[in-house]
Amino acid sequence: MTTLVKYTKQSPSRRWSWLTDPLAALIRDRFALGGLIILAIFFLIAIFAPLIATHPPFESAISDTGRLMRLQPPSADHWLGTTTFGQDVFSQFVLGFRVTLMVGVLGAIAVGVISTLFGVISGYFGGWVDDVLMRITDIALSIPTLPFAILAVGLLGPSINNIILVIVLLFWRNGARIIRSAVLTERERVYVKWARTAGASHVHIIRCHILPNVFRVIFLWVTMSVAFAVLTEASLSFIGLGDPSTTSWGQMLNTAFTSGNLRSAWWWVVPPSLALVMLISSLYLVGRAFEEHANPRLRAK
Amino acid sequence: MRAYILRRLLQSIVVVFAVTTIMFFIFRIVPADPTAMMVERGMSEEARQALLKEWGLTGSLGTQYVSYIKNLMVFDFGESFFYKKPVWDVLLPRIVNTLWIAVPGLLMGAAIGAGLGMVVGWSKRGSATERSGILVATIIRGTPSFIIGIALLAIFSSWLGWLPGFGMGDANGKTGIARFLQGDFLIHLILPVLAITIYFLPENLLLMRSGVAENRTEDYIELVRAKGVSNSRVAWHAGRNSLLPLITWLFPALAETIAGIVVIEIVFSWPGIGRELVMAVTRQDFPLAQAAFFLLAVMIVVANFAADLTYGKLDPRVVYR
Repeated sequence: MTTLVKYTKQSPSRRWSWLTDPLAALIRDRFALGGLIILAIFFLIAIFAPLIATHPPFESAISDTGRLMRLQPPSADHWLGTTTFGQDVFSQFVLGFRVTLMVGVLGAIAVGVISTLFGVISGYFGGWVDDVLMRITDIALSIPTLPFAILAVGLLGPSINNIILVIVLLFWRNGARIIRSAVLTERERVYVKWARTAGASHVHIIRCHILPNVFRVIFLWVTMSVAFAVLTEASLSFIGLGDPSTTSWGQMLNTAFTSGNLRSAWWWVVPPSLALVMLISSLYLVGRAFEEHANPRLRAK
Repeated sequence: MRAYILRRLLQSIVVVFAVTTIMFFIFRIVPADPTAMMVERGMSEEARQALLKEWGLTGSLGTQYVSYIKNLMVFDFGESFFYKKPVWDVLLPRIVNTLWIAVPGLLMGAAIGAGLGMVVGWSKRGSATERSGILVATIIRGTPSFIIGIALLAIFSSWLGWLPGFGMGDANGKTGIARFLQGDFLIHLILPVLAITIYFLPENLLLMRSGVAENRTEDYIELVRAKGVSNSRVAWHAGRNSLLPLITWLFPALAETIAGIVVIEIVFSWPGIGRELVMAVTRQDFPLAQAAFFLLAVMIVVANFAADLTYGKLDPRVVYR
């Protein structure tokens, strides 16, 4: 009897269960909750970055005696010290939140949209579309990711737009494959067949039956894509192929590295490194909780 | 079996062919002009045209493409703009250098990762070992490879001063294998190999862990346990069966791993193929960049091919069709 009552109580909210169930799983998982909190803080800093930054990021600090204040350790005026060009590390670091998260989120959304589009079309309709997609992804999966990014960004010119473009080119393929196989299982479910027999249109079936059920997979892939995008941008910038008009974390580390101060100026090196590790790990922790939620064999008893 | 190998081989060739085609167009749609660097050094127009012709950059796209594929088929990558010598002469030693750090790093990362993954997977669900194992592995997995490198440099090279973190030591005039068998080289090898090991370890750990965690609920584990076998031997049963998915994952994962190695080479100024690729791109040395990329792609195709073959060797249930 109790189960019946419980079920009727829940039923109005079942409509949104595809969204609320995974979210509840994330909050129950303590690691994922920690990740979510870190992500929330990072997003807040990114949004208010221009208000938090204390100096213009590329302005060189000149001391009262007219000398360039290079490689100053942290002080009251420069909270995280200065770079070898006398620029304020704290301001560059704070504005780096914006660049990094922008590349991550924009890249991941684009990857998510394209993967979903191709995955759903190919998985739902099958046929030659599916064949072509599978062959394309076969080839794309043999392309080494970062070398391709280095080549493409190096040849097209280092800018944020090109970096995002390369990220989308690199990561849509895995997503499309994963979403495709999820759609494939959903398509064979009995209620989908019933809906089709009852005369439901393809659009209706995709919107009401397929998408809510593969949402978890899409969300997982978008989360991972943010991590991949951030990692790719940071790696490219560290190599020296970052957008020169911005101050991303990878770029700060690149400047510290190429100017030979990697080993001495800890105030310059530690903040961007730590932020990158925290950001990517948080995304992985959230993604992991999703994966475990989706795999009942891994769920703790 | 033979038919299967043949088919996979054909597939691999198609993939390599497609990659080269993509590469051909990438190099031709970009705004960058390969002779721009030379013109700055005061090169006459005729000399420029002659160079373009030599590199196969004149004529229609069709003829360019045909000569390009012809050259690639015999692994003729032309001459490096920067070094002024055949690309092969530049790249071959670089590839050897990369293998020196990549192979030990990957093997150690896989072995240690799988071992630790088995321990974490076999520990009680929700225990401190399991939770801390997963957390630490995920954090290391979330660490970009260059940050692992920077951390190792800071600790072992700057702070403790134990190990060198730059280049691969003095050749002392030795060539061939003797160049690699000196103490100085081996000391320079330690930090890059360690960085690759740490970089590669967590994914192996996590994959092995979920494999063991899944397998431990299977009936055959109950049976082995019922036979009165010791706990560690039961764990080995579950572990051995989890090795299979790990190995299939291992080879294709090389594509991502190579990405990490490129950056690690930069951090440690290791003269490998990845670092050469980056330098070639920034110098607009197109033949060199093209060849380096091509070889990296071929490595991945070969690795995938190898993965399919080993899988069948390891799991007799796999049927080749």
